[in-house]
Amino acid sequence: MADPVRSDPLLVATGISKQFGGVQALFELSFDVGRGEAVGIVGPNGAGKTTLFDCLLGLEALDTGTVVFDGVRIDRLPVWKRSRMGIGRTYQRLELFRGMTVADHLLVAEQAKAGTFRLWRDLLHRGGPTAAELRHVEEVLELVGLADLADRPVDGLGLGHARLVELGRAMMGAPRLLMLDEPSSGLDVAETERLASILRDIRAAQGTSVVLVEHDLRLVESVVDRLCVLNFGRMLASGPVAEVLASPEVRLAYLGTSR
Amino acid sequence: MTQFFNYAVPGIPFGCVFALMAVGLVLTYKASGVFNLAFGAQAFVSALAFVSLVQDGWPRWAAGFVSVFVLGPVVGILLDRLLFRRIRTASPLVKLVPSLGLLVALPQLALIIAGSTPDIPPPALFVNAQRVYAHLGSVPLSGLELSIFGCTLVVVGVLVALFRFTPVGLEMRAVVESPRLTELAGVNAGRISAFAWILSSVMAGLAGVLLSPLYSQLDPQNFTVLLVWGIAGAVIGRFASLPLALVGGLALGVGQQVLAGYLPAGIISTGLRPSLPFIVLLVFLPFSRQRQFDDPLSSCDPPSTALEGETRGYQSASTLAVTSGDGVHAVGLWHRSLHPGRPESPWRRLARRPTTNLAWAVGALAVLSALTWVPGDWLLTMTQGIAFGVVFLSLTLLTGMSGQISLCQATFAGLGGFVAGQLADHYGLPVVLGMVAGGLLAAVLGVIVAVPTLRLAGLPLALATLAFALLADNVLFPNSWIGNGAGGVTVPRPSLGPISFVASRSFFVLSLLVLAVTAGVVKLVGDGTMGRLLAAMRGSEVAATSVGIDVTRLRILVFALSAGLAGVGGALFGSLEGSLSPNDFNYQISAVLLVVVAIVGLGSVTGAVVAGLVYETLQKAVTTLPSRYAGLVAVIFGLATLSYTRHPEGFVDFLGSRLLALIARNRIASRLLGRGERGEGPVEPPSGVGRRDDEGLTPVGAPGGGS
Repeated sequence: MADPVRSDPLLVATGISKQFGGVQALFELSFDVGRGEAVGIVGPNGAGKTTLFDCLLGLEALDTGTVVFDGVRIDRLPVWKRSRMGIGRTYQRLELFRGMTVADHLLVAEQAKAGTFRLWRDLLHRGGPTAAELRHVEEVLELVGLADLADRPVDGLGLGHARLVELGRAMMGAPRLLMLDEPSSGLDVAETERLASILRDIRAAQGTSVVLVEHDLRLVESVVDRLCVLNFGRMLASGPVAEVLASPEVRLAYLGTSR
Repeated sequence: MTQFFNYAVPGIPFGCVFALMAVGLVLTYKASGVFNLAFGAQAFVSALAFVSLVQDGWPRWAAGFVSVFVLGPVVGILLDRLLFRRIRTASPLVKLVPSLGLLVALPQLALIIAGSTPDIPPPALFVNAQRVYAHLGSVPLSGLELSIFGCTLVVVGVLVALFRFTPVGLEMRAVVESPRLTELAGVNAGRISAFAWILSSVMAGLAGVLLSPLYSQLDPQNFTVLLVWGIAGAVIGRFASLPLALVGGLALGVGQQVLAGYLPAGIISTGLRPSLPFIVLLVFLPFSRQRQFDDPLSSCDPPSTALEGETRGYQSASTLAVTSGDGVHAVGLWHRSLHPGRPESPWRRLARRPTTNLAWAVGALAVLSALTWVPGDWLLTMTQGIAFGVVFLSLTLLTGMSGQISLCQATFAGLGGFVAGQLADHYGLPVVLGMVAGGLLAAVLGVIVAVPTLRLAGLPLALATLAFALLADNVLFPNSWIGNGAGGVTVPRPSLGPISFVASRSFFVLSLLVLAVTAGVVKLVGDGTMGRLLAAMRGSEVAATSVGIDVTRLRILVFALSAGLAGVGGALFGSLEGSLSPNDFNYQISAVLLVVVAIVGLGSVTGAVVAGLVYETLQKAVTTLPSRYAGLVAVIFGLATLSYTRHPEGFVDFLGSRLLALIARNRIASRLLGRGERGEGPVEPPSGVGRRDDEGLTPVGAPGGGS
């Protein structure tokens, strides 16, 4: 079990379990992410990867276990509080605000941080975005390469751009931990490469910790420092990418062959 | 124990009918993704046909066969083909509105066609309803009860056999899982869904015909109540399990009789029994995880190409969708704020949309007319329309902007009116203050509704609020200290110091002021920061909370705000009428309110105002027709749902975009009304853009669009 004081990781999940009906999605799983570290998570479909994200962010309540983020226990906090503490995430199945423009997606995330609905300012017609907010939106739009599409409603975007909108939205909270749920699924090779370079830029510029759930091993290899393998809700292996992929146990679970 | 038995046995026939309803609801929900609230209306239509035919001298078996096995399926297939098949993948609101509209419209349409309600008491299907054929213990079993029991057994047997042993049953289960994959396997999903509709329509008809002898006269209201019980049964079955729905319906039927037997008479038992569905809904709804109608293919889909218009909801000023050659763009706040040519003056902003100018001109003309030459009864109609406009605006805020479906908005309005009246009556409080107090108390009620339903969204939220409205109608409003039952409450016209609003023209001005303030609040919220947060919540609650929006607080706030506005509107209406009774704002009115404003336009403030005026004008116009057509307004809006599924942005937005195109093409008109900004030329009607065909091949499960 990781000792948060000794190695001082950013996020420590200890012994977390989650059951859906008869399905044990996560079983006594322990998992940690260091500061500035990028961790890849691979595993067969149904291994519990998305459930792990949901539990860490609080979209699903834990059955057992604790989650500590930056020295604070967060497993009882509501999702929005965890988010404001600096956890951003994207979704495998897109969760966009339909009908809103790309820029509005980022602006909402920016304004959500303030924690006030500005009802009174709205009623006095003073509720518009501030210059600082707009500047930050502009910066992140540049970062994820969506500046040209700022005024487009997301409904008509292609999957590649839509995933970038989710990434940009998650980046607005200046997260210390970024959780990406299969960001390359549905993207072509060029789009995936662009995503990888954006992720490397983000890490280089802001030192953001990243957890990357991904099936595309090339993307994983090019971004992460460490790889974890999840199977049936348990951690099968964890370590440097090449080492983990070479382990026969992992090959059996993931590829169905040990050769 | 014997006593329990004596209470329980008479409940079984009720339970059987509730179970039939519940199973039928679950069946179509699973097969077509639509929760068919028109089910109660289908039951009524069959029952009406049956009784009418018997009155005309048909033998009962023939009348029963025609009304259950011919008329029922015909109505069902028509509904499936014309309506529900189109909206399988639409948003919860777009799915709900047509079935709600039909729930009110179908019975009225049937009554208009039939000419009048039959005079004879509804007969039983096969047997002599009253004659006692057997005894169970000491409980006599009448022919009616035996026939209900027998028919239910037969239906259940047929269903079990169908699902277990026939290829159709297997295919039906497959369609439920994934219509697209089933189609790829070579099964015609449309045919299967049609079959499910036939089946469930037969059950609706059977339930209606079997149950009608319990009432001395056919009344659509009874069937709506029946529907609510069926819904409760379906919820016990978690919208998914036919056996559980069956058991749930039975248990509810028995349970309500037992409760009625044990509880003392009076308000508790008369009130508690009808509110049992509410309690059941509130207890069971959080457990009924909404089936997302997404299939295994959906995660590889690009986002959202299903019905485009329906996703738009309230159009804040920052996202006016316009076309510019290569598809839909938005002239965004982004564009203006980051790349400003010069600061925009309010007047320029006002003149940006020619249709807005036209609306202002028409509005001004209407107000001028009202203040000068409009006769008294039409002035009354206009004022009523304005009061309803205030109530509709509360729905623009709650449903149009934040995507929360409320079927208890009339309850909030009613509470506002009663509070204003009671305060004036008992404490001599000025009515204007009473209106404010009514709004505040309605806001409190809004919080009371919002808190237990926090975890619900879409259809479950709609059902929970419907049940809440029913609860208020039965338990809250009959009390003398609030709604005073059928007697109602008098609400005087207000006066402010020396200014009296008793005369109809001065009251019209007051109403106009209230409307202006309400519209201002809704517009400012919608175009401001809160509007953007609400739009995010509407788009995806999951994503909204994960970017740091406190969705819980936001939802409670918007419910309170909306309920408060509705309360003010209700108080205004009460004061206009001089008195208010619970029937003015019962749960059916809530349903009508949502249907009307959705059809006319949830996307703008103008939409709500127009909805109020159109609704009241139609009501007024119908009074000039023979009494046979009393239900015509409901029929009109029920049929309008057919076009609503094509233009879910609503009549006003649709008309506005067409007008905009017309004005842009006409030189004189555009000179007169303003041209609109560059790039803001003709707006294509947004719906129908990304639609493919309706045969289950439409991309399923766009984000947040499930259920």
